[in-house]
Amino acid sequence: MSPSKKDNMLYVGIDLGTSRSVVSASNGSRKWVESYVGWPKDFVAKKMLGKRVLFGSDALEHRLSLDLSRPLQNGVIKEGTARDEAAVHELIGHLIEMAGAQPEDEICVAVGVPAEALKVNKIAIRDTVSEYAKKLMVVSEPFSVAYGLGTLDNAMIIDIGAGTVDFCIMHGTVPLEEDQRSLLVAGDYVDDQLFKLLTEKHPEADFSLNTVRKFKEKHGFVGEPKRRVKIEAPVDGKFTEFDVTEEMRKACESPMPAIVETAKDLIASFDPEFQEQVRKNIIVAGGGSQISGLDAYLAEAMKDFEPCHFTCISDPLYAGADGALQLATDMPEEFLEKL
Amino acid sequence: MNGHSSTKRAVLRGVYEDNLGIPRSCRGKGRSKACPGAEQRPEMFGKIGKIAVIGVFALLALLGFNFRIVYLDSFGPVAMQMSEEQVPPTPVASAAVQGTPIDNSIHDIDLLAGSELTPLVGATTGTSREYDAMLSQLGTPVADLFDLKVQTIVIDPGHGGSDPGATGHQGLKEKDVALDIARRLRDKLVAAGSYRVLLTREDDRKVRLKERVAFAKENHADLFISIHINSVPAEAGPVNYVETFYFGPHTDQRSLDLAEKENRDSDYVMGDFREIIARIGDTLKTEESAQLAASMHRSLYRNLKRRSGDLMDAGAKTGPFVVLLGVDVPSVLVEVSCISNKAEETRLSTPRYRDSVAGFLETGIVEYLKRRTIRTEIDGDKLPNVAQQER
Repeated sequence: MSPSKKDNMLYVGIDLGTSRSVVSASNGSRKWVESYVGWPKDFVAKKMLGKRVLFGSDALEHRLSLDLSRPLQNGVIKEGTARDEAAVHELIGHLIEMAGAQPEDEICVAVGVPAEALKVNKIAIRDTVSEYAKKLMVVSEPFSVAYGLGTLDNAMIIDIGAGTVDFCIMHGTVPLEEDQRSLLVAGDYVDDQLFKLLTEKHPEADFSLNTVRKFKEKHGFVGEPKRRVKIEAPVDGKFTEFDVTEEMRKACESPMPAIVETAKDLIASFDPEFQEQVRKNIIVAGGGSQISGLDAYLAEAMKDFEPCHFTCISDPLYAGADGALQLATDMPEEFLEKL
Repeated sequence: MNGHSSTKRAVLRGVYEDNLGIPRSCRGKGRSKACPGAEQRPEMFGKIGKIAVIGVFALLALLGFNFRIVYLDSFGPVAMQMSEEQVPPTPVASAAVQGTPIDNSIHDIDLLAGSELTPLVGATTGTSREYDAMLSQLGTPVADLFDLKVQTIVIDPGHGGSDPGATGHQGLKEKDVALDIARRLRDKLVAAGSYRVLLTREDDRKVRLKERVAFAKENHADLFISIHINSVPAEAGPVNYVETFYFGPHTDQRSLDLAEKENRDSDYVMGDFREIIARIGDTLKTEESAQLAASMHRSLYRNLKRRSGDLMDAGAKTGPFVVLLGVDVPSVLVEVSCISNKAEETRLSTPRYRDSVAGFLETGIVEYLKRRTIRTEIDGDKLPNVAQQER
């Protein structure tokens, strides 16, 4: 590796997620932001907020004054939505700024995006990133996770995100289209189910989708409950406690049949000689991997098929960005030069 | 450990190739950095200039006149100045030069002394440097510049008849596997698009290398793909790898040995070699062969790797294969895998596996053709199809 590669270059790994976007840089910086971008609706809002554009929780907090965008909803930039493309553009700029890039830095970025977005929005994503980076690569999120973990051969990654569940079989090369699958029943779907179940059972309580998402992130589980799930929600302005154990289980288990069937299907399509190795090496990543009891539940659900071993990664928030950073750093100079 | 680092290297190469393949759109409003190519090309080589130049090039080449090329710094497009005593001005040529002030500070490059289209597209030996310089100034691949289409694909199953090629431990012969894969590839390509796909041999018979080359020429091949199965000496162990070649000097001793093996019985004489060696500088052929080889190799390796975990990647590279040298068009020789590896021989003996191999080769070819289309579209409006006009 030539010294010039290291001297002036800031390597940046970005995980551009539906729910959260994360950046990890070679200067040690690791930051994340909720994937919301908002522009003040008018000059009054702009003057009040004092910013041209707001991101993450800041944007959510002031959503009534903003044109708000969650650009990768359902895992893709909606076709023909210039606003969502602009939001991705702003978000990438913000993440690079958060990484502490200096004006003199040459920036090399690897961006992990939902697998579906890589298929559908490759060019748009590349264009939005290329303004900020001298060198750039766009890869799928599950692939960047796999790369970061070093599981490059005979393994399957299941990345349970907010917009999509992405499956990817690793076999020592960059996964092809047939090695990947995407499901739209993911974190957002669970939120919708939970919201529906709670509002049906407790119509008197005041739930919002945002609070329901927070309940899920804190108490989400599948299989047998370890304890009762009790939450508080306002009823006529007064906070009241509710036992939502069953609703939580039903909602969290709602995408599982699709996940199990897709995993079976993908494993069955792999070379029979290596299927056993893949079954023993299934990595579950993404925010959904934090659902309590998930690895045991999936192993049990797959038992009739063939014994499988699932491992939920320990740092799902940064795994994608760290993997992308690793990829950018490892990319040989001769390849990097042409990117 | 070594295996892991070679896997890592293969993965990194895959990411690199995938990202190289992503075209850049030019619709980012005001985002000049989004389209680096757009910053360089339009001023240098505008659409009108391109069309004018192509028209003149084609006409002059067809008429068989000598000409000189004049590159204008300020104009960007290329204008032509005829060698007066030999080239009468034609209406097209005049039109191309009209309105283009001839600047005395221009560099004046003798381009071609040849009289056919072939040396126009590929440089001749005497002027290849200047021609290459001109091409690099144009900043666009030759095939894109002339919008050359692919109509005829010639597939060349290696060996045949009394020449079995390599033979596996269980008796499987290279000639049979190569022919079967070639047939399957032909069927897939015909089904995939409106290509005319021909085989240099349809059955188990010996075809000399010279005849294979002549067949490709007679049938006006636009792409030439030679299919072989590799074999390594027993002392190398049960290795299995994929490698793909396009014409050029050997990159390692193994490539040279392999080329010697495949070149046996070439039926060429020294005089032939002088003629065909003169084509080495063929820019179109080299550029496109390299891209075709890379695309086919990538598809084949990545997909076969799934079926054969120990498969190694020997790369897409140059090699001195006579059959590739003789053909004027983009040409690739692919060594699908190693028949000397017992497990691979077993796989190769099944029709399903051979069908998969043909499918992966087809994917690589189609991917290459798709990328060419994208390249052409992104470069701007389509140019006159010189190849079709010529035919």
